[in-house]
Amino acid sequence: MILMGLRSYIATRILLTIPTLLLLLSAVFIIMRVLPGDPVSLHFEKKADPELMDAMRHTLGLDKPLWQQYIDYIGGLIDVGYLLKNGYPNLGKSMQTFEEVGGQIFSAFPATLELAIYSMIIACILGILLGVVASKSYNSILDHLIRGFGTITYAIPVFFLGIIFQLIFGVYLGWLPTGLRISPNVEPPATITGLYTIDSLLEGNLFKFAESLKALLLPSLTLGIILSGMFVRLTRTNMLETFRSDFVTAARARGLKERTVTLGYVLRNAFLPILTMMGLQFAMLLGGAILTETTFSWPGLGRYIVNRISFRDYTAIQGAVVVFGLFVTIVSLVVDILYAYLDPRIRL
Amino acid sequence: MAKTELIIIGLVLISIIIASGTIYYAADLSSKMSSLMQDVSSLTDALEGRLASMETSLIVGTTDSVELTLDPAQAYDYFGWCILQQIGATLVSVKPGSETGTDFVPELAESWNYSSDLKIWDFTLRQGIEFPDGTTFNATHVKDSFDRAIALIPRIPEGAPAGLEYGAIINRTTVLGTYKVRFYLNHPFSPFLGILACRASTIVDPKYAPIAQVNYTAGDPRASTPVAFLGPYILSKWDRVAGRDVDIRLDINPNYWNIASGYPRIKHILFKFYSDAASLRLAIGAGDVDMAFRHVSPTDVLDLQKSPNVKVWWGTGAFIQYLCFQEKRAPFNDSRVRVAVAAALNRSSVCETVFLGLSSPLYSIIPPGMLGHTEAFTKLGDSNYTLTRTLLAELGYSESNKLKFELWYESSGHYPMSADQALLYKQALEASGVIQVTLKSADWASYKKNRDNEIMDAYIYGWYPDYVDPDDYAFLYWAAWLHTNYSNSTQVNLYNQARATTNTTLREKLYAQIDEIAVKQCSVVPLYVSSAWAVTKPTVYGIYLDITQDMRYWLISK
Repeated sequence: MILMGLRSYIATRILLTIPTLLLLLSAVFIIMRVLPGDPVSLHFEKKADPELMDAMRHTLGLDKPLWQQYIDYIGGLIDVGYLLKNGYPNLGKSMQTFEEVGGQIFSAFPATLELAIYSMIIACILGILLGVVASKSYNSILDHLIRGFGTITYAIPVFFLGIIFQLIFGVYLGWLPTGLRISPNVEPPATITGLYTIDSLLEGNLFKFAESLKALLLPSLTLGIILSGMFVRLTRTNMLETFRSDFVTAARARGLKERTVTLGYVLRNAFLPILTMMGLQFAMLLGGAILTETTFSWPGLGRYIVNRISFRDYTAIQGAVVVFGLFVTIVSLVVDILYAYLDPRIRL
Repeated sequence: MAKTELIIIGLVLISIIIASGTIYYAADLSSKMSSLMQDVSSLTDALEGRLASMETSLIVGTTDSVELTLDPAQAYDYFGWCILQQIGATLVSVKPGSETGTDFVPELAESWNYSSDLKIWDFTLRQGIEFPDGTTFNATHVKDSFDRAIALIPRIPEGAPAGLEYGAIINRTTVLGTYKVRFYLNHPFSPFLGILACRASTIVDPKYAPIAQVNYTAGDPRASTPVAFLGPYILSKWDRVAGRDVDIRLDINPNYWNIASGYPRIKHILFKFYSDAASLRLAIGAGDVDMAFRHVSPTDVLDLQKSPNVKVWWGTGAFIQYLCFQEKRAPFNDSRVRVAVAAALNRSSVCETVFLGLSSPLYSIIPPGMLGHTEAFTKLGDSNYTLTRTLLAELGYSESNKLKFELWYESSGHYPMSADQALLYKQALEASGVIQVTLKSADWASYKKNRDNEIMDAYIYGWYPDYVDPDDYAFLYWAAWLHTNYSNSTQVNLYNQARATTNTTLREKLYAQIDEIAVKQCSVVPLYVSSAWAVTKPTVYGIYLDITQDMRYWLISK
């Protein structure tokens, strides 16, 4: 019965994803075309031969009515044959580089994903740990310090913290590279998953693993610390609230060790809202990665979008937004399912 | 059994157990030690390998990226041309360190001569040169390369960005012999060697560069650039992520033939790509890269100059910026208004304040050092408010009835420090007391659209030359694509006369006359010319930052 409830819940959530994405895509499609400037005139610096420009417009399908362009684009997206052949949906061709947008995006996505995963790990460990410590030492100096840390890290701009880290660990101490996905004098591992840390391990090269980890440390630490502020505050508040619950008092009355009460009872119950926040933050993290990627010259999806906007590369931007949207939707879906699984009341 | 015996047997058994254990652990320890030693040895080998590769490679950090392709028929961006220069060769080239950009030296051509009307150019080619696949270079390769460049441009469905207009200059190319080639030009064209020395004239092997298609980018099955060229390096790796370069590796061309121009001193050039000037500055400051070239900001380069850990190389710049006026309507359809505005500008203030002295005021559209450069616009002066007020008074403008217009600048980083420049120009103009400026900005895409739609009153624009010759600057005064709606047949005639003579004194005179008219008309007003710089580790040598703006990596050593 519970399983049936969960299944229909998942099915509903998946079905809701389709209109959400369609809405997002339509908004981007319209906004891009409302902006002044067009990709064809940007392609021609000196010579603006009308015939050549018209030929290019025709090649790119820009001479068709807007509704036709929209339908063509949606038609491409749902082209299952293309998806099966290439491993990614037909997102059209870039209007500046004339390469497949799907290929471009999926070449950049692993970098963003790797950064997001490691940053999230750092944010969760740091945030939850400090949140628990702060709640245990309520109103003490340590609590104030941790709360201060949470506020500062929440407020500090990512590029500022990034540059500070680059200066300290890269320039002054020389311990870590200031940017890029691997030290400049080390050959990147052969692409299997696109995640350097994984690929170097699959290649059996510990040296490259260490080098890619070194390169990953500063950007993920920067983004992780920034995100941890939110987790610190959330964990602390929820823990304090749960500490006041009757079942905690009962557990203590039964003579359970304080550590068991804290981790086994309080943290477990306080974890549900933290889990929701993890999902939301993971989505936010992709957006936040734009600045981190620029600061650390990280060749991911964030830099791709910024770069393509300046070229009015309609298809590239639409494609990137679709992928971002899809990713955020999947993460939200997973979190919702986990939530529903952990808390049966959700499914009722 | 006696108790003593039992004790002895027990002790023996215990000894055996201890000995076995010891032997076992010793063996295990030995195997672990051996494995550890192997690890240490492999790590040492890896480190030695890394050190060896570091000694023979130059790591270059840049914020550039190849825009689209490394096919000379379509590439039209600085970095694309830079890579092409390392892997390709042209018939002639400019001597490194040239001050004027007109010291041509033989490259694939041994010698050349031209007809008195400058319409027929003959080149005798070097012999014994091979492409990397063993194909012998000859005159047909030259003909095919130029035929292809001319034929391909209109056929490229996406539209070719190259603006060199080869088709308008070259009528046809003829093979006169295995090592002799002739160019018939449509009109007399004295800067022809300049055109031949630029990257668009890189010779390709038609086997890998078919006449009907462009070799696009890395990863594309049609991209076969590594074997199509004759340069000092071979492109051995070109990785792009999401349409931007992430890794480029050049390896020495073992068959490089041009010993006279310098055999490559460094085996591998590794390009690493940073997102912006701040990241690049940190990378060179931390020693992550051996060299940072394009673009370290003026503030950063002045700061780095104080550091003992790096060396800053200075050179001549060729990038210029200028002010355009929309002349199809009032107020700038009157040359007096344009002259009045030009006289009120303050170039020095912009160069000193915005570019920290790393740019110089420009008083001719042709930059200093180049044939035909004059200081013509000094006649109008800087902040010459007397002239501004006099001219505007003639037209009825005064402190109570100010000349009002919009000054546009590009805001997305296509040009350096545009907002700061525009603000200082506004201040200087308004200090005249009779001008009121409204600053307006647009990102590059919108800016170009606005230019084409001719909606901007006055707008700041920039120019980077295709070939180093006044011929590639002087036409800016009336360039149709700037949409200023200015035309002047006298200037065009003078320009064409300068094209038709190799007499440098006469050319200088003709360009000076063009400038004289430009000062009176002020269709376009020169603002400043940039400097060039590169930052390296102190151990890097052999950098030439001359007027060509070429970076010749094969001459660099460390």
